[in-house]
Amino acid sequence: MGRQIVHRLLVSFPALLGVLFLCFCLLQVVPADPAMIIAGPDAKAETIAAIRLELGLDRPIPIQFAEYIGRVVRGDLGRSIISNKMVSEELALTIGPTVELMLGAMLIAVPLGLTLGTLAAVKRGTLLDRLIMAISVAGVSMPVFFIGLILIQYVGFKWGLLPFTGRTGPVWDGGQPSLILPASTLGVVLIGPIARLTRTAVLEVLGADFVRTARAKGLRETAVIVHHALRNALIPVVTLIGLQAAFLLGGAVVTETMFSWPGVGRLAVGAIVSSDFPTAQGAIMILAIAFLSINLLVDVLYVYLDPRLQRS
Amino acid sequence: MSVETLNAPAYAEESGALGRSGALRRLARDKVAVTAALVLTLIALAAVFAPAVAPYDPYLTDLTNVMQPPTAEHWFGTDNTGRDILSRVIFGTRNTLMLGLVGVVIGGVVGGVLGIWAAYYKRADGWIMRLVDVMLAFPAILIGLAVAAVAGAGLAAVVIALVVATVPDVARVARGAAVGVMGQEFMEAGRAVGVSDRTLIWRYLTLNCISTIFVFLTLRFGQIILIGSALGFLGMGAQPPTAELGMMAAQGRDFLFMAPHIATIPSCAIFVIVLAANLLGDAVRDVLDPRLQQ
Repeated sequence: MGRQIVHRLLVSFPALLGVLFLCFCLLQVVPADPAMIIAGPDAKAETIAAIRLELGLDRPIPIQFAEYIGRVVRGDLGRSIISNKMVSEELALTIGPTVELMLGAMLIAVPLGLTLGTLAAVKRGTLLDRLIMAISVAGVSMPVFFIGLILIQYVGFKWGLLPFTGRTGPVWDGGQPSLILPASTLGVVLIGPIARLTRTAVLEVLGADFVRTARAKGLRETAVIVHHALRNALIPVVTLIGLQAAFLLGGAVVTETMFSWPGVGRLAVGAIVSSDFPTAQGAIMILAIAFLSINLLVDVLYVYLDPRLQRS
Repeated sequence: MSVETLNAPAYAEESGALGRSGALRRLARDKVAVTAALVLTLIALAAVFAPAVAPYDPYLTDLTNVMQPPTAEHWFGTDNTGRDILSRVIFGTRNTLMLGLVGVVIGGVVGGVLGIWAAYYKRADGWIMRLVDVMLAFPAILIGLAVAAVAGAGLAAVVIALVVATVPDVARVARGAAVGVMGQEFMEAGRAVGVSDRTLIWRYLTLNCISTIFVFLTLRFGQIILIGSALGFLGMGAQPPTAELGMMAAQGRDFLFMAPHIATIPSCAIFVIVLAANLLGDAVRDVLDPRLQQ
């Protein structure tokens, strides 16, 4: 198990370097000279030169990249051009809400997807099965913002049931109502793929010998399905959740923007729109690192769920 | 010289090119697939002939007639500046479809070439697949955001994001298919009679992998459209007044409570396109290449 994780870490390393390099480029290739932006429109040439020297912008690119990595490791991501706050501080404020949103979405999507998928597999070929599969294809085909628009318009505005702008606080401190709509928006998109794969996986497992044995020894059907079929079907489903991580992140960016949710995605979009490159770079880096970590986590979970992999 | 004219044997039989082994006929029996294909064809035709099909000029504002709900004159109503939404949706579909198509085609070619090279040139295999792993580490939306941050928002940022989103997966699928073909005897036979690398790669390998790649791209098309329109929604893609479905939905969001149709109709259009593409993709996969099934 340890070896697999080490291998995975080794694969993640060049990817991480790639992420860092891209973020570094983001600070390099910017159309405007960062020193000029910081100095302001009517600064003297000496001021700009001084800032450039201070920022190390006169040194060769590879050295600047090495220095950049050094700064990132120390947690120094520069200052926002707009608010002049440390980017790391701004990120620290936004990571919590993003994690909250993603976990909320998973909390909605995973149980629902598993239930629907299992139900479809058990009732294979019936109207219920076809209905569930039709819903999940429709779910996969929905733009995230379409679901958000509908929820905002009806649940939020017309029926006035739940708040739909901003975050009133952390989940443990009265923030639950404001989380429900964004988390549902993001979660609904995931239900379809999870249900679909669960169905395939459960169907496959239901045909296996150990399920027949479990039935033959007189286990109740629910026990057979929950303990034998579903547990084994979880393996491909966990992988799928890993594969959907990219989707989840992208969806989170859209959802946060729609619901004014103060997360990393909204920070990134806002920073790009206002040409705040240090903030944009920091936010994009955090999102990419989050993506790499999710994949790593999924690999670990995968080994844990499939004991066969631990021995090999 | 005669080696050049040697044809690679049709190994593709079981993975089947369209038309062979009655695949098209089997597809035609699938009612869902036929409906989806019909809907997509209609949408594509409307998009191609947008200037002829659209009832109004999509950029013509009419401030005496803003935010009208659907009427007989304006089937989809008018937006906040009185532009005809149906016409804008038709032109928007044109841009959205074009983005998806360009992304999938460029991504498919680059990914296909990388995958086939990886299978053919064993020494490059590790490097190419490592590169693919690195590309996989960037979710498409992030690429779109990063490119838009560096080069400014615009269609180019979206296309680059869509290509990056397509390449790694296609490369993996193509490599998988090509490795299978590499194990076939005719590859060895070809090499034994002195067929050049180029011919081997193109005539022997690529032609035998192309249907798998094609099916995979069909399956991905819907998702690519979704990513493209999400980037448009975030304001990283087409800029106003250009009509693009995602961007139109974002603009309509400001008027959601007064005139919900401005945002919902373009969103709905995306949904219909993607749904039809997904249903058709699934059906094509089932008929042509069931091995791609998850």
